[in-house]
Amino acid sequence: MTATNTSTMGRLLRVDLSSSTFSELLLPSEIPAAYLGGKGIGAKLLWDLVPEGADPLGPDNVLMFLAGPLTATTAPAMRACVVTKSPLTHTFLDSYFGGYFGPEIKYAGYDGIVLSGRSPEPVYLLIDHRGPSLQPAGELCGSGALESAKQIKARHNDPDIKVASIGPAGENGVLYALICCETNRQAGRGGAGAVMGAKNLKAIALKGNQLVGLSDRKAFLRAVSTANREISESEDCRVLMGAGTASAVEFANATGLIPARNFMDGTSKLAAKLGDHGQKQKLWLSRAACFGCPIGCSQMGAVRTGKYKSFITDIVEYETAAMLGTNLEIGDPRAVAHLNKLCDELGIDTISAGACLSFAFEAAEKGIIPTDGLTLSFGNADAAAALIERIARQEGELGALLAMGVKRAAGRIGPDAEAIALHVKGLEMPAWGPRGTPGMGLAYMTADRGACHQRGFPAGHEATGSEWNGKPVEALALEGKAAMLMSMQDYLAGTDCLVKCDFGAMGVSADTYARMLNAATGLNVEASFFDRLGERVWNTTRLFNLREGMRTADEKLPRRFVKEPLPSGPHKGHRITEADMKYLLQDYYAVRGWDETGRPTPETLARTGVLTEPYVMLTDDY
Amino acid sequence: MPVLIAILKKTAKNLSHWETVDSMEKSRLKKRINTFFDRCTGCSLCRAACSLHMFGGFNPNKAMIRVESRWENLVHLPVVCRHCDNPLCLRVCPVSAITRDERTGAVVIDREKCIACGLCSRFCPLEMIHADPETGAAYKCDLCGGDPACVQMCPYGALEYATGDPAEKGES
Repeated sequence: MTATNTSTMGRLLRVDLSSSTFSELLLPSEIPAAYLGGKGIGAKLLWDLVPEGADPLGPDNVLMFLAGPLTATTAPAMRACVVTKSPLTHTFLDSYFGGYFGPEIKYAGYDGIVLSGRSPEPVYLLIDHRGPSLQPAGELCGSGALESAKQIKARHNDPDIKVASIGPAGENGVLYALICCETNRQAGRGGAGAVMGAKNLKAIALKGNQLVGLSDRKAFLRAVSTANREISESEDCRVLMGAGTASAVEFANATGLIPARNFMDGTSKLAAKLGDHGQKQKLWLSRAACFGCPIGCSQMGAVRTGKYKSFITDIVEYETAAMLGTNLEIGDPRAVAHLNKLCDELGIDTISAGACLSFAFEAAEKGIIPTDGLTLSFGNADAAAALIERIARQEGELGALLAMGVKRAAGRIGPDAEAIALHVKGLEMPAWGPRGTPGMGLAYMTADRGACHQRGFPAGHEATGSEWNGKPVEALALEGKAAMLMSMQDYLAGTDCLVKCDFGAMGVSADTYARMLNAATGLNVEASFFDRLGERVWNTTRLFNLREGMRTADEKLPRRFVKEPLPSGPHKGHRITEADMKYLLQDYYAVRGWDETGRPTPETLARTGVLTEPYVMLTDDY
Repeated sequence: MPVLIAILKKTAKNLSHWETVDSMEKSRLKKRINTFFDRCTGCSLCRAACSLHMFGGFNPNKAMIRVESRWENLVHLPVVCRHCDNPLCLRVCPVSAITRDERTGAVVIDREKCIACGLCSRFCPLEMIHADPETGAAYKCDLCGGDPACVQMCPYGALEYATGDPAEKGES
């Protein structure tokens, strides 16, 4: 067997689950030329393949697992992503995962897997050296996400098979169900697991025998050495090597960004217990890394003592420590690790779960939600665990209500509940309260998948006053924030086509990404390529979202951040007013080249090179 | 009885046992890959580097080195070819395709001679022979000719290329 002279496989596997048929999706060269891989290809294919207004949980929606040109190579810290139409937001969803499943897509011979339709029976997709096949999954139904992966490996007697699976929550249509991508890693946000469950697809199991080649091996290995050096010299990366994202807990508390009690406050006394120091004491034992990563941000551990003993746990990531910890007023890292594990096994996103639980706790304080016999109150870890189980199984009135996410749940209850539902466009808030960082507020208002901190993170500069374009960033200033955010969004979207990990990107420079990409594929791009690519992708997802009915009136922050001043922390007393939001948004639309209603102008679409025409897909039937 | 002694000595030299003792003494001078599971994170860069060396492209499933993950990734155990003093793979090969490279001490497979019978794979207790799932052809670690790519690539110090066993040098 010989390797190809490029790191892309040149084909995608198309699976029609309704008819149990496979075909190869060969993209016309214009598409990879304009969109590269990962997020970009996902944005274009979603635009082309999903009929306008399609039900996200219906057979017409497509679920895509997409690698990028550097996935599965030794370029440090690369990932893959899931792209689909979100059942939570009804708009574009991209959800990223590290670990070992992403590279295996390419070892199986594909740049991506595109699934549509709905299988008449529960199945899992198996791809090995014999090719793709659908296997009966009836016996796996109701099993946990990690448990299902274990069972599939045992069934095929091969521990090296890589599995992406859903838990009961995905099977039951919980709108923020996740896809578990091997131990410790999930495509967590936006409900991709519910889309998978609606397709009657319990899992995808991969064991590939194909080689991922390189265009210029020597140049590639030189560029990888540079990238590794940049990572080892990066202070941010070094912090992640030592303490992973748990290192952010005490930082977010000191800067007033951490959620407490359903985002009522921005500081919490529990931060010290839930941060890296607390976790190191109670949980951590060793380190683990995703494929090809020299950072190794996972601190592996075990709950050895106390009420919840004993189980293995990954690091409690910042988002989880905050959303299921400080946000619920639960301060024992072992209890939070327990809730985390429940979410992982049942298959729900810990961020949205945390927001739904804190919503329920606050609503119960106000007496506006059914409690179904539970004592819903902040700090009650038992109630939190019981609620997670009920949500995943859509059990009882409360479980079914919260399984819809805070936007829909609040909509059912009424305006009092809507006032305490923390989401943007239906996606629950992640764990960075923006009242002292208006740029971050704008990032939530405009992120293409709803409230997301990973499409641009101005808070990093706003909270620290670090420099952007040679000038220290003023936290509370409004001016210039839109331009800064656009620049971040474009670069991240561009490098999400590789598919890069956000943590690797804290060290690796744009120039080095370009060198690795060129040497791997034979392209000839410069550092600025990613900004232009990202802008094209951002306009493409925008078109999709507008087509699917996203209203620019919904580009706003939850009421709490607008009406209630922050009670504590360095930005105590601050909020993001209606006038602030209006200024930020109009400035943003202007710098993006969008009209006053947030629609890309024809000039902008032409300038950025968005491929608006659907391309005829060439397929080879198996 | 000098003649008898001479005959005995000559016979003994032909016995594999004596050969083994002889090669054990030699092998202590050769470098091998030592593993440190307490430093391994399971990142599999070693395996990717190995597949690039052996096949010219990346695929850790085709690597000569294995990383066993236990307890939901709490622990990772790298397993490498020991280039044994008494290599069963070499001894069972029916066509003498497996030999010891005198320069590096590596036990290597001659790709031209291999008939893909699978015997070497069956008799390696560490399961270090890689059989291609499509062709059945056998591959194994060749120490990259004396500069193992896996050791170079490991960012965590979980692999070293050194003389003797770490235990013998008083390391843990």
